[in-house]
Amino acid sequence: MKVTVDRDRCIGAGNCALIAPAVFDQELDDAVVVLLDPSPPEDSRPAVQEAADRCPAAVIALHH
Amino acid sequence: MDAMSLPALPLPREWELPFDPPPSPAPAGSRVVEVACPTGLTAWLVSDYAGVREVLGDGRRFSARPGQASHMLSAFDPTSEPDGFSRMDGPEHVRIRRNFAPQVSHARRLGELKPLVEEITDRAITRMLASPQPFPLHAAFSTAITTEVIAELIGVPPAQRHLLRNAAQALFTTTTTASSLEAALSPLFGYLYQAVASRRAAPGDDVLSRMILQGEGSDRPLTDAELVDMNAALLIAGFDTTASMITFGLVALLNTPGEWDKLVADPALAVPATEELVRYLGVGTGLLRQATEDTSLGDQEIRAGDYVVVSVQAGNRDTALYPDAEILDIARKPGPHIGFGHGAHACVGQQVARMELNTVLAALATRVPALRTAVPVSEIEWKRDSVVRGPVELPVTWS
Repeated sequence: MKVTVDRDRCIGAGNCALIAPAVFDQELDDAVVVLLDPSPPEDSRPAVQEAADRCPAAVIALHH
Repeated sequence: MDAMSLPALPLPREWELPFDPPPSPAPAGSRVVEVACPTGLTAWLVSDYAGVREVLGDGRRFSARPGQASHMLSAFDPTSEPDGFSRMDGPEHVRIRRNFAPQVSHARRLGELKPLVEEITDRAITRMLASPQPFPLHAAFSTAITTEVIAELIGVPPAQRHLLRNAAQALFTTTTTASSLEAALSPLFGYLYQAVASRRAAPGDDVLSRMILQGEGSDRPLTDAELVDMNAALLIAGFDTTASMITFGLVALLNTPGEWDKLVADPALAVPATEELVRYLGVGTGLLRQATEDTSLGDQEIRAGDYVVVSVQAGNRDTALYPDAEILDIARKPGPHIGFGHGAHACVGQQVARMELNTVLAALATRVPALRTAVPVSEIEWKRDSVVRGPVELPVTWS
């Protein structure tokens, strides 16, 4: 599984870092998403998918 | 079509159907219908889940410029020059949003806030248990907690907290005029201008000081006016909407067979219960957008400049979200509901609101398991002229 994020459109809502903290963090100064692991293990797929679905700015994408 | 012959925008009627969105006047098979809004605005009403997400998720085609609730609030002119971040689009909006996101929606910051919210909640329950019954839950519990949390967060001293209540009352009441709104907001704005000046001179360990310090380190530091606007929005929206959701949510929990018992048996369900209550009851009066270009929604052509109202509560009851979306089920695995909105303007305070709701629900289920409403739902008095829905007051008992 490959994960990408669009940092330019991120609003720092924080859902991803709360739902899948092993994969997503946030910058301290503007709360923008930090992708910790662009190729997370397969067992994290449900959490990553949930983070993508619940991102209000729709900036997280999963690529198989 | 002229506004006189259009169906009216359907609004919640909690005194008849306490927990449900009103039926859409859209003809069968049609996703979009033109309606006349309470302020006289004509708008396309979108009530399906995919349609609401499409509109809120595309700020390029559907601008926030007219104001989120200018279809409901007489004091707002959707054609006026945008006067704050809630009416901005694109990078300008993101710039402001990123200034306060670290204070209210950063996972680590939320971890620091949790003990404060728990302590405030515990004290409120202790006061409640020492009070005579029936007890006025909305004023003395829900509103007391959310006011204290947001005031502590931003650093507003107790003597100034009444300014929030007066401002929220005027801002969210549909019949408030522009001039009376200005009069009601000006004491809070005056206080915040002074607070910004004093924090610039001597920063403390509060959100306002952190926003100032962070802005000073950026390419385009925030102006005093921008800081005042953002903090006023956080303060006003931050206590009233959350308090109303606590109270309204408890009415639903305590009067839907089995739901309160599930929470008492397992207070950890407070986390999914929070998502479910916000999904089930949130944003009954909808949100306003304006098309920036000729476009379409489903089969319906939309012209540049047309207004669009999205019914968030109806969208959240769509079977496209859950096959049994009309059921309140606090144990449901949280899904991508739109109760905090969607898109770049999704609720700024959503993580703080979540924390307050789930802290309060877990603490009440643990310490006051016998809680119940002291009057039948049919006798509850509901707010009718506000965009923040819920009971005016909720008498409760526990013994």
